[in-house]
Amino acid sequence: MTSTSWTAANSRRLARRERRRQLGPLAILTHVALLVWTVLTVVPILWTFLASVKSEDEIFGDAWSMPAGLQWDNFARAWEQAQIGQYMLNSVIVVSFSTFGTMLVGSMAAYVLARYPFRGNRAVYLLFVSGLAFPVYLALTPLFFVVQNMGNVPLVGPFIGLNTHAGLVLVYIAYSMPFTVFFLSAFFRTLPTAVGEAARVDGASHTRVFFQIMLPMAKPGLVSITIFNVLGQWNQYQLPLVLLQERDKWVLTQGIADISTAAGYDQDWAALFAALTLAILPMLVVYTIFQRQIQAGLTAGALK
Amino acid sequence: MANTPHITRRGLLRAAALAPVAGALAACATPQAQAPTASAAPAATSAANPFGVDVEKPLEVWIFDGGFGNAYATDIHQPLFKTKYPDVEIKHNATKEITKVLQPRFAGGNPPDVIDNSGANAMDLGALAQDGQLQDLGPLLEAPSWDDPDVKVRDILDPAVIEFGTYDGKFHVVGYVNYIHGIWYSQKAFRDNGWTVPKTWDEFLALCETIKKSGKMAPFTYAGKHPQYLYEPLLTMAAKIGGNEVLVNIDNLEDGAWSAEPVRQAAEAWAEVGAKYLLQGTAGLDHVQTQTAQNKYDVAMLPCGSWLENEQATTTPDDFEYGMFPIPDFTSSDKMPYGTLHTQPGESFIVPSRGANPQGGMEYLRAMLSKKAAGDFSELVRTVSVVKGAGEGRDLSPGAKSATEALAAAGENTVYYRWRSWYAQLHDEAVAATGQLMSGGVTPQKYVERLQKKADEIKADSSIKKYRR
Amino acid sequence: MFQTYRRGLFILSFLAAPVTLYLVYVISPYAQAFYIAMTDWRGVTATPNFIGFDNFIRLFSDGIFWKAVTHNAALLVLLPLLTIVIALFFAFLLNVGREGRGVAGVAGSKFYRVVFFFPQVLAVTVVAVLFQQVFRPDDSGMLNAPLMALGLGPFGFLSDPGLAFWSVLGVMVWQAVGFYVVLFSAGLASIPRDMFEAAQIDGAGRFSLFFRVTLPLLWDTVQVAWVYLGILALDVFAIVWVMTDQHGGPDFSTTVMATEIYRNAFQYFRFGYASALGVVMFFFTIGFAILSLRLSRRERIEY
Repeated sequence: MTSTSWTAANSRRLARRERRRQLGPLAILTHVALLVWTVLTVVPILWTFLASVKSEDEIFGDAWSMPAGLQWDNFARAWEQAQIGQYMLNSVIVVSFSTFGTMLVGSMAAYVLARYPFRGNRAVYLLFVSGLAFPVYLALTPLFFVVQNMGNVPLVGPFIGLNTHAGLVLVYIAYSMPFTVFFLSAFFRTLPTAVGEAARVDGASHTRVFFQIMLPMAKPGLVSITIFNVLGQWNQYQLPLVLLQERDKWVLTQGIADISTAAGYDQDWAALFAALTLAILPMLVVYTIFQRQIQAGLTAGALK
Repeated sequence: MANTPHITRRGLLRAAALAPVAGALAACATPQAQAPTASAAPAATSAANPFGVDVEKPLEVWIFDGGFGNAYATDIHQPLFKTKYPDVEIKHNATKEITKVLQPRFAGGNPPDVIDNSGANAMDLGALAQDGQLQDLGPLLEAPSWDDPDVKVRDILDPAVIEFGTYDGKFHVVGYVNYIHGIWYSQKAFRDNGWTVPKTWDEFLALCETIKKSGKMAPFTYAGKHPQYLYEPLLTMAAKIGGNEVLVNIDNLEDGAWSAEPVRQAAEAWAEVGAKYLLQGTAGLDHVQTQTAQNKYDVAMLPCGSWLENEQATTTPDDFEYGMFPIPDFTSSDKMPYGTLHTQPGESFIVPSRGANPQGGMEYLRAMLSKKAAGDFSELVRTVSVVKGAGEGRDLSPGAKSATEALAAAGENTVYYRWRSWYAQLHDEAVAATGQLMSGGVTPQKYVERLQKKADEIKADSSIKKYRR
Repeated sequence: MFQTYRRGLFILSFLAAPVTLYLVYVISPYAQAFYIAMTDWRGVTATPNFIGFDNFIRLFSDGIFWKAVTHNAALLVLLPLLTIVIALFFAFLLNVGREGRGVAGVAGSKFYRVVFFFPQVLAVTVVAVLFQQVFRPDDSGMLNAPLMALGLGPFGFLSDPGLAFWSVLGVMVWQAVGFYVVLFSAGLASIPRDMFEAAQIDGAGRFSLFFRVTLPLLWDTVQVAWVYLGILALDVFAIVWVMTDQHGGPDFSTTVMATEIYRNAFQYFRFGYASALGVVMFFFTIGFAILSLRLSRRERIEY
């Protein structure tokens, strides 16, 4: 027998044994557990999709019945009356600007605090990081007045006062500082100094070194913290609840919470499900498309 | 690291310079007391324009979008206002959550001009009054009525409205609807099944038993998610048993008001209903769900107010025929006779004192209290009006008819309570406890004890302003 | 000298914006909150009256607030525990679980990992409203319909004071697990394969592999997870406020510190008292943070 055929026969046997192990009782249990969690995760979402095409009566009936016909006008009502489109747009606008702002301003602060010792460096760093422990609710009432007073500042006032997206963005940035500074400064500290120093010797200014050398090097950490911030700010409910009063300005979290109350009065649960579907689908689609980047990004920075 | 910690004096000075700037910024970030704006002063007054409405100023109106919807404002009141003031720009807004949306406006010192403060999320009128945020509507009462300049607004208004809207001697709140509370049912269903309206509590329990045995529908339900729908008949029954003083004492936070025997008896009576005769799943259903269940003939009776018919307009079958009966006699020795009703003005309209256009707000209310506006409104939303004579010659729906008849039969025997709008915490505690009472989570004795404890806490809390009646 | 001047200027310019924003929107409100906590500020534009520690004294006998604190405490223990255990289990299966040669996840790991993360992508109020419907108390509820079909009575997931808290916990775990599966997967991925293979060659089965190799090497990540989840347990607001009956009920059976603060401030207009509650919550959070930092000074495994 040649060695190759012996290897071939043996590997077939090993493969058979491996397949048996894969289908063994422990393997089955494993797959059952994974499937159970998949079901738990996906079914409530699918059920919402199912209900979104039912009529009001069908929703009051058996939860798992199939709809007689597909009531697409639920979506029309959700879009118009529930203004889901508007709220999503507002959320996208607010989160885009505030994430950009957070990352810009946060990385600047983190960089300086990480690489430039000066008297008071430790104090400023602690000031930022201690914010991690502060609950937002403590600051809610005075924050309301701070933002209101900001609205009275000459020139820019009307753009950053209460009920403005810009005002909310500034608040989001400020409250994301502790987390961002904490993680990014740790990240910056791990970066090698050689490249930066070489550039300085060549005459580059500090600012240039930061933007053209340090930031690109910190990309994995930046991506990761950006994702964290996007997730956190997308989910914000308390702050816009207090700071955005006009319905047209609301973000998605407020809009959805309000629909739940409204559905109770209007008896339009079908539109509620349609609105939920409209809110869920885009998020799921975006996530599925970018999931590899998101998962990679999340993990790169989170482990230091 | 090549960088040595070289903090130059200049650098440090610069950093130090930043501090007071930041401090100053922060200082201007403290809550500033908002001075009332000069623009809130009235323009010239006249007989036709008793409050001095300035036609240059816009009027911002906020309506609670609930059982009555908000179309009545845009279809009836605002056009009427415009007949007299065609140039005034009216900004109409509606919401289902008044506090959530408008409280920040009060906080910010720029509230709107007229608010319909109603619904589960209505603002705490006691707090607003305590803080001087409500315009004194005394001038409104003394002003000539919209229809007849020789008659004052005070004289065409149901006196209960004036009594109810008075805080600390000043009239602040116009209740636009006379809410009549009772037990609602379908006259058709009762007729078809041969059921009769009970006059005593024993008859009521027997009726529940009959309905339950028939298997056709559940006897009783209430808005499980909003237990105030149940503490209302509970307290009405307590007043029936023990007299109106029961409710007066509760309102005035008298010692032992909640643990008084009539209250406990009422709690026990309703707890029995909760244990035996409730529609399945009541505890998790909201008002519209239970009311719709009644429309579908899944349940026979529920406690509600005279807004019910309008709220359920879209799901009520044409031949449903809403009817209402008062709380039955608990025993033959009840202090108040059969027919006693809990009525109180609802749909509370207020004019914030710090709004930009309080005069416009008051004039708007004056327009609302005209015969035409009040009459059109009550016909549209199937209610009983608070303006005398507004209902004359109008075609009433069955539910409104039933309620009006009950009101006439009650005569002087009407009761009400005000603690709900005075002490929000007590309301929340009552809501929590009543839910438990009906689901068997607390005994009637514990129930009254809990509420007494909360009332005592509020009484002892010096930071909460107390009212009396 | 010029260099140091340039350097100083650079530091200032880079710190100006973040520090100012932070001082104005974060530090200043917090400082004022401590002051307001000592006033009886009820309305809004009246000047606050200083009342010293009265609010704190009142707070001590506030049964509802302390009930809320016990709920936060229960969440603090249970949420991280359940989430981490479940997430670790799945992360392990998805990365190391395949029996036999090599270190790989079971078939379809990639699919599972993507799907498990779905709940994280939904905004928290979306989850709250969705589950409000899932938990409906009659046969129109997603969970109650099959349960009733099996003859088990309808459950008041949100209307039964004995069940409501567990429903809240369940939803929080549901939303959190996926994120930590990803986090732990990354942690696992950063462990060199040789460690696993060496253990496998030595005959380690999946159990001992998990407990003797995986867990100790992942300990850092698990600690990070514990702190995040702990803070989530202390800060929870939206799920309780939006999903539960009576905003923290029924009968205050699900209320937490954050909802009580919001209720007192924006429904009862007792801003002074609410700020005092906030101060207490602040000390709890700081206490937790310090405790976690202390306990996390464990030996790190070098590899």
